[in-house]
Amino acid sequence: MATKTIRKLLLGAALTAAFLFPVARANDDTSVSLCDGQSVMTIPGLKAGEVLTPERARTVAAEMLQVWSKSAGEERWASWKAEAASARPEPAPVAAPGPQTPPAAAAPGQPTKFTKRDLQLWGREEKKWIEDGYKAYHNAKALGGTIGISCDMCHPDGSNTHPETYPKYQQQLKKVALLRDMINWCIENPLKGKPLAENDPTLRAVEAYILSTRKGVALEAGKH
Amino acid sequence: MKKDRFEKYLDDRDAYFGRVARLGRRDFITAAGLAAAGAAATGKLLPHSFQPVDVVRADGPSFRFAYISDSHLYEKTLNERFVRAILKAVDDVNAMNPQPDFVLYGGDLAQLGQPGELGEGAQILKALKAKTYMMVGEHDWYLDMGEKWRSLFGKDTYSFDHKGVHFVVLNSVIVEDYWTGPGLTPMQRMQAMAQLDNPNGRPFTVGAAQRDWLGSDLAKVKPETPVIVFSHSPLYKIYKNWNFWTDDAEQVQTILQPFKNVTVIHGHTHQMLSNRIGNIHFHGMLSTAWPWPYAPQGLPKLTVRMNRADPFDEFDGCGDGFVDVLSAGHVDKQYNLWSRNPVKVSAAYLGSDGAADRPATETDVNY
Amino acid sequence: MTRARDVLALCLLVVLAAAAWAESPWPKGLPRDLWEILVPETNPVTPEKVALGRRLYYDKRLSKDGTVSCATCHDPTKGFSDGKKVSEGVGGQKGTRNAPTVINAVFFEFQFWDGRAGSLEEQAKGPMVNPVEMGMASHDDVVKVVRAQPEYAAAFRSIFGREATIDDVVAAIATFERTVVTGNSPFDRFMAGEKTAMSESAQRGWALWNGKARCNTCHPFGSATPNFSDNRFHNIGVAAKGRDFGALARLAAQEGDPQKLAFHADFSELGRYVATKQPKDIGAFKTSGLRDIALSAPYMHDGSEATLLDVVKFYDKGGEPNPYLDGGIVPLKLAEQEMKDLVAFMEALTGEGDGAATRAELAAPGK
Repeated sequence: MATKTIRKLLLGAALTAAFLFPVARANDDTSVSLCDGQSVMTIPGLKAGEVLTPERARTVAAEMLQVWSKSAGEERWASWKAEAASARPEPAPVAAPGPQTPPAAAAPGQPTKFTKRDLQLWGREEKKWIEDGYKAYHNAKALGGTIGISCDMCHPDGSNTHPETYPKYQQQLKKVALLRDMINWCIENPLKGKPLAENDPTLRAVEAYILSTRKGVALEAGKH
Repeated sequence: MKKDRFEKYLDDRDAYFGRVARLGRRDFITAAGLAAAGAAATGKLLPHSFQPVDVVRADGPSFRFAYISDSHLYEKTLNERFVRAILKAVDDVNAMNPQPDFVLYGGDLAQLGQPGELGEGAQILKALKAKTYMMVGEHDWYLDMGEKWRSLFGKDTYSFDHKGVHFVVLNSVIVEDYWTGPGLTPMQRMQAMAQLDNPNGRPFTVGAAQRDWLGSDLAKVKPETPVIVFSHSPLYKIYKNWNFWTDDAEQVQTILQPFKNVTVIHGHTHQMLSNRIGNIHFHGMLSTAWPWPYAPQGLPKLTVRMNRADPFDEFDGCGDGFVDVLSAGHVDKQYNLWSRNPVKVSAAYLGSDGAADRPATETDVNY
Repeated sequence: MTRARDVLALCLLVVLAAAAWAESPWPKGLPRDLWEILVPETNPVTPEKVALGRRLYYDKRLSKDGTVSCATCHDPTKGFSDGKKVSEGVGGQKGTRNAPTVINAVFFEFQFWDGRAGSLEEQAKGPMVNPVEMGMASHDDVVKVVRAQPEYAAAFRSIFGREATIDDVVAAIATFERTVVTGNSPFDRFMAGEKTAMSESAQRGWALWNGKARCNTCHPFGSATPNFSDNRFHNIGVAAKGRDFGALARLAAQEGDPQKLAFHADFSELGRYVATKQPKDIGAFKTSGLRDIALSAPYMHDGSEATLLDVVKFYDKGGEPNPYLDGGIVPLKLAEQEMKDLVAFMEALTGEGDGAATRAELAAPGK
């Protein structure tokens, strides 16, 4: 199964390569090379800037694959397969309780692209963002509210926010919305403030906090 | 012949509305007479005047009191929404006919305990026609430890008797000192208390001193006398994180145990909440300001929940209500929910552990 | 951009000539699955039924004194209303209601201002026997009149396979009414991408509609609600204007049976409560649709607002206070220009060519 996919990828790559890497031109011929930097092939009659028909492109790609197989050989293919299999991600570690605990490190012995230290550093940043959100969540002024009402007054501990149910048709907005749309609606209506810009750090921090309160809860977009 | 809904409606209307619809105001009496004649013909009863009469049942209410609770007033310049809400409640109670015997104010009159907030609240409540008994909440207390409250409303703990029922009013929001050590200013102390989901919050208690007082106050009361306790915290344990909790609840319940009929009416929870523990019925009051969501755990199984509120409607999930004290000793409690139909939680429902007289659950999806 | 596509479908709607009706029995452009939800299975739309319904719609012989037909109060040349505050029936008697428009009535879940009819068929039965509208003594009398006309006999026999019954009569009328739909207004074309279709003022009005003015809460536009009504009932205080509605409302809340108040002079102001008997519906009326709204002044259930600007001003001040005012009605603090922008937006909802009024298919037969 994986083989088929990789071959398809390769074909795709070959097709792309056909357009992206024209090399030399001899008369009206174009030469193309593969991403391995080694395999080269000439496509007779292909003028510069001309686009292959899908059928011809497929033929070219198949031929390229032949060329690559001859040059690289099945050993490279086998090693590539092995690497792909070992890089398949393990199931995620069990959800940590609450935002204060740093996320669990990947199990030892797994080849990963990040280290335990990375996870600690990232966890620190995530924690800070969620804390900023927590502060704003509990502060009417920070949210831009003008009547002293803050999110926690109707949603202590993020209760009744149901972030896992978005996107959904939001009755108050009369259209399908994301969590941040509803946060802004609440800021505008019960809190009587001005809605925040899409990329406003306070809006994003509040969203981060709300999401963090529902860690481990299954996603259920559209649940009312 | 089976009639559809519309035809039945027409039949009903015929009996009363037909010719009468064209009569002007001064033909009222005639109209009433005609309608009464029509009503007699169809076997339907009509009141003699336009005022409906409270039928007194054998096991019926011996008296009624109203409640308004948890208004959380800011000063009017900052937030007039909460002011409009408490005015609406005062209006509701003043329009009750007949007037209730008295009104209970359930605590958290102010939001941050400020003299301006408490003073404004006191002024608004003066407009109530019936006598008002005040009870304190944590939002009223922790700015100045009750100084302004006592100057406006007198003692925070007291008792009184009314028509054979013994009423006790407690200050059940006593917490251990969390401010002296860290050197908090009064406003910091108040704001820490004001945050419901404060992870460093201390649990509410009645406290040893008040428990002693309660014991000696009740020593003079006969066990058959109905006892009604007004308390801001619930006097049982629901969810500690939000202080839907009284830490020495069991000890208080033990003091109340010898009495056959005890009812606790509490504030703080801003929602429909009912429970029974032994001989004690517990009823939560609605807030006029905003509803709390239901706690993720600890909800008594006898509680019939209200649907979550529509945040667009400033009054949804809020309201006021009244309590009918039954001659049998317990109470029927009415939740007068704004924007929704009223709900009654009766003594029969709690006493039968939910088997009888279950309050109607909401079938309407609110939003 | 699914929304634009839905809108495009709607906005390409034009009621076709009879010939085209023979090909497609539903208004071209309306999404077919929506149409299938709206038309009852028991009463499919056919060109013959539409034509019969149209004749009945204009037939004054169906009234007690031969002066009133459906078209009298629901006049196609007057936006399918009658331009009056409240309608006048047989003998010039005045009712208590502003005639709702037939335009897009097919999209409503309930008919009448109090929603007591669940279908257009049910609604059509009402005015016939209302003493201040068409004044017939009973539906049997209506059937007698219809059966007495030879020109109807053939049509009923061919369409319904039997002599006319009241259910068949209203089925035909309802079918005709289902064809009264509009679209392709400047708003629709704007939503479909034609940016210059609506004036700048109307575009600002559309932004306010979904924002500061909060109109979309009850008058939303969407693929499920193309006619700008949420199919719900709200008390916005119209019932309280110039009347002591508060007292009536409190009476109603205590009473529980609206029929017992039927002789009260302001009975009709109880609105939806009369149909549901639920206190939360006291003084609540159905949210109107708004397409072609510019054609059917005056506005509100009692015709008390003369122009669209008056309507906007009514909402701007927060409606009229009364004990059952919808909690979402609050003062909006709109600027003068913002109010004008909202009016401009509503005027942009008029369907093509003066909307329904000028279409030949809807005019009186024989004209």
